Amino acid sequence: MASLGERLRRVPSWQVTLGAALLALGFLVAAQLRSEGPRVRYTSQERAPLIETVLSLQRQQDALKTRILELNDAIRELQRRGEGSAALVAELNRQIEAARVAAGLVALEGPGLVLQLTDATGPLPPGANPTDGLVKSDDIRTLVEELWLAGAEAIAVNGERVTVSTAILDIGGSVLVNSAYLAPPYQIAAIGPPGLYDRLSASAGFVDFVVNRADAFGLGLSFAEPERVVVPAYAGTVTLRYARPEASPSPGGS
Amino acid sequence: MRSRNAQLSVTAVAFLLGLLVVVQLRSQVGLSGLEARSAQELTVLVANLTSRNDQLRREVATLEREVSDLTQAAARGESSIDRLRIDLARLRVWAGLDPVVGPGIRITVGGLLPGSAVEELINELRNAGAEAIAVGGVRIVPGSVVAGPPGAVSVENTALGDPFEIEAIGSPETLTGSLTRMGGIVAQLSARFPEATITVTPLDRLRLPATDRDLRPTHGTPTL
Repeated sequence: MASLGERLRRVPSWQVTLGAALLALGFLVAAQLRSEGPRVRYTSQERAPLIETVLSLQRQQDALKTRILELNDAIRELQRRGEGSAALVAELNRQIEAARVAAGLVALEGPGLVLQLTDATGPLPPGANPTDGLVKSDDIRTLVEELWLAGAEAIAVNGERVTVSTAILDIGGSVLVNSAYLAPPYQIAAIGPPGLYDRLSASAGFVDFVVNRADAFGLGLSFAEPERVVVPAYAGTVTLRYARPEASPSPGGS
Repeated sequence: MRSRNAQLSVTAVAFLLGLLVVVQLRSQVGLSGLEARSAQELTVLVANLTSRNDQLRREVATLEREVSDLTQAAARGESSIDRLRIDLARLRVWAGLDPVVGPGIRITVGGLLPGSAVEELINELRNAGAEAIAVGGVRIVPGSVVAGPPGAVSVENTALGDPFEIEAIGSPETLTGSLTRMGGIVAQLSARFPEATITVTPLDRLRLPATDRDLRPTHGTPTL
C-alpha cells in the first residue's frame, strides 16, 4: 500500500521534470536557430582582432563615462561644502543644480513611454535595398523628434541621454548616439505627460513613419507604458571651447 | 529498471540542456551586432570610438583639474563663489538657458527644404562640435524640433521665412569643413532638393539668444 502510494506520486514527478526539460530544450533550440540572425555573417580572418578592438574601446568608453559621472558628483559635493557667505553659496548651488537638471546632467524618472525598434526579420519587399531592413539613425531621429513634438520632456536611446549636443549618426553600419555605439533592439525611453502615446500616434509624421517605413520594410516597432520610466544622466563633454556667456565675467570675478 | 531508465533519460536531457544553454549564452555575448559588420565598417567604428574616447578623456582631465582646484581652494579656506558663478554661467550657456557669443558659421537656406532636412543639418552641426545652435533666431535645445513640409517649416511655433538662417557657434573652420566637404550634408541635400540653395559663411562673432522653453521637468523627478 505504502509503496504503491509512493510510486503514484513519484512517477508523475519525473515525467513532469522531463516534460519541462524538453520544453526548455525546444525553446533553446528555437532561440539558437533564431539567434543565427538575419544580419549577414562575415567570416574573414581579419575581423576577429577588429571586433576585439571595438569591444575593448567600448569597455574603455564605459569606464570613462562612469568616471565623468563620479567626477561630476565630486564637484557637486565640493561646491556644496564651499566657503563664503552661506546664503549666497546655497543660492548659487540651487541655481547650478537647476541648470544641471535642465541640461540633462541629472537622471530623471517619471511616467512616460518606451518605444522599441528592431531590424526586420522577414523578407523585404521586392526591389528593396538589403539594408532597408536595418534600423538606421534616421529612423531613431524621426522617433525622437516625434516624441519631442508629442510633449516628451526627457529622452534616452538605449540609455544615452538626448541632450542639446546629441548627434544620432550611422557610422560603420552602426548607430552612434553621443559617443556610444548602440546595438539593436533600440529602446527610446521618454518621460512626458499622460497621453503621450495618444498624441504620438495621432501625429501625421509618426503615422507616416509607421506606414511607409516600419510596416513597409518589416521593422519591428512596439511600445510600452511602464509606470516609471528612467532616463539616465548624460555622461559626456560639457566643456565649451568657443561659446562664452554674453556678459563674460571678468577674469578676477566680481 | 523503470526508474533507472527514467534517470538515464533525465540525465541525458539535462546534459543536452546544459550544453545548449552554454551555446546560447555564448552566441548572445558575441552577437552585439558586431558579428554582422564588414572589416571596413569595423575599421570606421574603431576610428570613431577612438576619437570619441579621446574627447571623453579630455573631459575627465578637465573635471579632475576642477576637483583638484576645488579641493585646494577648500584647504586654503578660499571663497568658492567666483568658481560657482563661472560654473553656473558655463552650464547655463551649454544648456541654452542664457544668450551666448562666439565664433561660428551662418547657413543661409533659400528655396524649398522640409523640416526634416533642417534637422539633418542640425544633427551634422552637433556631430561637428557646434556648441550652440539657433534656427531663424530660435535657440535649439532638447525638445525644439524644426518640422513641416517645404514652404511651411516652423520651429517652436515660429514660421521660418525664405530665406532663413541657421547659426552655430564653434570652430568656423571645422564646422564649414564638415558641412561642405565632398559628399557631405550640404552636397547631399543639394542633390535631393535641387530647388534649395544652402550657403555657409564663417563668422568671427555670433550672438545666439537664450531659449524661450521652460526646461524644468514637470513630469520627471531627479534621481540620485
